[in-house]
Amino acid sequence: METKLLSEFYHLDEFRYLDGYKKHGGYVNLAKALNMPPQQIIDDVKASGLRGRGGAGFSTGMKWSFLPKNNEPRYLVCNADEGEPGTFKDRLMMERAPHQLIEGMIISAFAVGSKKSYIYVRGEYYFPVEVLEQAIQEAYKAGYLGKNILGSGFDHDMDVYRGAGAYICGEETGLISSLEGQKGQPKLKPPFPAVKGYLQKPTIVNNVETLAAVKYIIRDGAAAYKKFGTEKSPGTKLFSLSGNVRKPGNYEVNLGYSLNDLINNEGGGMKPGRKLKAVIPGGSSAPVLTAEEAMKATLDYECLAQMGTMLGSGAVIVIDDSQCMVDMLGVLMHFYHHESCGQCTPCREGTGWLNKIVHSILEGKGRLQDIDLLVKVADNMKGRTICALSDAAALPVLSFVTKFRDEFEFYVREGRSKVRGNFYAQMHH
Amino acid sequence: MPKCTINGKEVEVKEGQTIMEAFYKTEEPIAHYCYHPGLSVAGVCRLCICDIEGNPRPQIACNTVVTEGMKVSNKSEKIKDGVKWVLDFHLINHPLDCPICDQAGECGLQEQYMEFGKYDPEMAEHKVKKHKVVDLGPTVVLDSERCILCSRCVRFTDEVSKTSELGIFNRGDRSEIGTVEGKSLDNKYSLNTVDICPVGALTSKDFRFRQRVWYLKDSETVCNGCSTGCNVKVYFNKEGFFRVKPVYNEKVNGHWMCDEGRDIYKFLNKESRFTKGIAREKGVQQEMAPGALAKELAQEIKSKKDHVAAVLTGQYTVEEYESLVSTLVKELQITKIFHWVNNKESFNSFDGLLLRGDKNPNTKGLLNILEKYQIKGVWGDLESGIKNKSIKTLIVAGPENKAVFDNLENHIKLFSQVDHLVWLGAAKVDSLLSLTNKISIVPLKTFVEKEGTFINANGIEQKFKRATTVVHEALTLTEAAILLSGKNLTLPTAQMDRPAFLENKRRHDQVMLENRKKNEFVFKRGSL
Repeated sequence: METKLLSEFYHLDEFRYLDGYKKHGGYVNLAKALNMPPQQIIDDVKASGLRGRGGAGFSTGMKWSFLPKNNEPRYLVCNADEGEPGTFKDRLMMERAPHQLIEGMIISAFAVGSKKSYIYVRGEYYFPVEVLEQAIQEAYKAGYLGKNILGSGFDHDMDVYRGAGAYICGEETGLISSLEGQKGQPKLKPPFPAVKGYLQKPTIVNNVETLAAVKYIIRDGAAAYKKFGTEKSPGTKLFSLSGNVRKPGNYEVNLGYSLNDLINNEGGGMKPGRKLKAVIPGGSSAPVLTAEEAMKATLDYECLAQMGTMLGSGAVIVIDDSQCMVDMLGVLMHFYHHESCGQCTPCREGTGWLNKIVHSILEGKGRLQDIDLLVKVADNMKGRTICALSDAAALPVLSFVTKFRDEFEFYVREGRSKVRGNFYAQMHH
Repeated sequence: MPKCTINGKEVEVKEGQTIMEAFYKTEEPIAHYCYHPGLSVAGVCRLCICDIEGNPRPQIACNTVVTEGMKVSNKSEKIKDGVKWVLDFHLINHPLDCPICDQAGECGLQEQYMEFGKYDPEMAEHKVKKHKVVDLGPTVVLDSERCILCSRCVRFTDEVSKTSELGIFNRGDRSEIGTVEGKSLDNKYSLNTVDICPVGALTSKDFRFRQRVWYLKDSETVCNGCSTGCNVKVYFNKEGFFRVKPVYNEKVNGHWMCDEGRDIYKFLNKESRFTKGIAREKGVQQEMAPGALAKELAQEIKSKKDHVAAVLTGQYTVEEYESLVSTLVKELQITKIFHWVNNKESFNSFDGLLLRGDKNPNTKGLLNILEKYQIKGVWGDLESGIKNKSIKTLIVAGPENKAVFDNLENHIKLFSQVDHLVWLGAAKVDSLLSLTNKISIVPLKTFVEKEGTFINANGIEQKFKRATTVVHEALTLTEAAILLSGKNLTLPTAQMDRPAFLENKRRHDQVMLENRKKNEFVFKRGSL
């Protein structure tokens, strides 16, 4: 069963515009929030247990409280650089409900004391940018942005910034580099962005879904929000269901919802005659689950962490028995090789190396020791770099190779896929 | 002042210093490329990983600030194995062209691999192809395949020379160092990028392919290119001098030196020197030993001492000025001594980093000595003296590094108006040989062939030692002064102290020889 908290009115076209949005309770909570002391909002968000929806799942209230307590100018940045393969929830949110995000952002900015915020949108998302820009203009006209918002004395400006389509700019320090006009490369931590971020000023970077959810914490209160989801993973979350299911799409469910139910109820189950083989539960960088594990999994941070994978951005990629895991790893490795920023050596060279090994196997030139080499290389890329891209490339390799080793060995021995013949070679020669 | 323990050794560092600096202090070996003490921290090579007690993940030493009681170690098998792998990541796309690489012999990769390497390559794929022989600018050539993208050169142009010509283009393992189209790496400090490049990616156009580094000896000395007096190493062998590199001195030049200073070696080699004493009168040229020529001149100088003047450049050592000026003043009673300023307009200029307009290493030293003997030679007196023939014989201690003396020819024209020009100098100045008046040229030794002291623009006294001898017959200015006064040379008795800054300090980015692992590399069949 879907629990539509954020996505309640997404089916309505009018929800995209200010009038329609206001009809369904829009900007009421902004007025409410502006009458609260900012610290109260931070405390409420902390009490609600809201966790970052971008991937890492860090407590939002905690992140906000890392800001230095002084009058230094500070920035709020909305991370809409949705690049994780399999994730498409932010796009829906920006296209269907731009004002929901804007309202959430103004409330958050008021809470952290920021006078300027940016929405950093992925370069390929052209339509969402248009929608957002139109919505921001509407909000300015209606007095929700600009000087002295709703007579509260709080000033706030908001801008949309289009990225150039780099996956690495979804990492918060990479995003800040890009926003500053530099090459999109993550920065060394410490200092953390909350202390020294955009233009060396304290900066909070939050995901689209996180900021949009803040509005509902103000509306219903922290306790009411906590009723959704589980004890440690409260709230609802949008899951981007894709792959070999009958009804792929975005579904908002309570955290802690069963993965089996998501695939078979919301997703409509497998295609006729097909069997579930594996599920990637949290975007391409999350380790893969076998069908057996997936049936037991629930969609919350703790359960998935226990199973050695992660909730990530909530991109559930369903893989049925018609898919070749070697092929899939080839696609993933191509992606990470292409997207590595090239700053840290293990990631720069490692992603290239992994890509080459997997493609050697795919071209029928693999050696049996290559399978162990994949594991060794991935093991030594893990946790050795500035940002998590290296881990994101290494984790799928480790899980694919350990859980589906037979397919890899078959490919090396026979020079063709166990599942669908020598398809890769046919494609490329 | 927090204390920490590095591999069991306790060390106290300054507030805010990193683990890397603590490693330097204890001289414990730690692998690293991108860290350079003169640049900001990039933290990208990931080689300096170490265990910190109480921290589950290994941390990089260059970006972790030491806190009180921190216990750091890089001796565990896990860390050693990690370093081996990171080194291997550096090497998988690095070409195996050491035999034709200029850096071989002083290469960071070679050195660190000897100590920390894996010795068991597993890379079986094709290497990434990148640009070779990229012309970055007038001084530097880039080989992108050798580059390990440590970003030292990029940070140097951003932070030290502040010219920001270099950048890293493209992403992932396609990344390459380069300049924006239409721009070139062209600044007065560009060759420092070659020094800090830990591999053979950046090579100096001037030095590349000229000599294998293991055939070169080096000696530390002070650059005589300008009055900053950067501490440098000169590299030479029996064929001559080949290059100059900076040596760290916090008070004088830090880690750097300018490109101009790197050319000084060219004036030390035989082909740009006077090697024989030359006596030339009425078109008849006679070559003789420098000492004999100087001795011969003594008689004339003594007899005509009222009409003798001396012109000194700031290119010689304090000790030499002392002996020359004292000989002239005390023994010969010659007080017409003048200071030759090479470029009056830009003499006091300074670019804020190292380059000074005063192109003499020891102007301060000369002025001190002149002041000591209360000599206030005004250049106008020299000019009028030459014109009204009250100065008939002129002793000139000329420049060693003639390239920085812009108006050398104009001065020679002035000096040529005297009856007899006694030219003491090392650099071969061709126009002297076509003068019509009587001229005696006494070849001198250059600064690398003698010991002495330079006082730089900030008044810092720097002693240096002899590196080698190129022209054996040439005299030092002291010897010339003794001979010109009519005395004979005796063997030197006083030994100079070893200069303080030359103390044998371990170069930071080099691995100590004794720590090197024995070469255990065994080529395994099928290991590639």
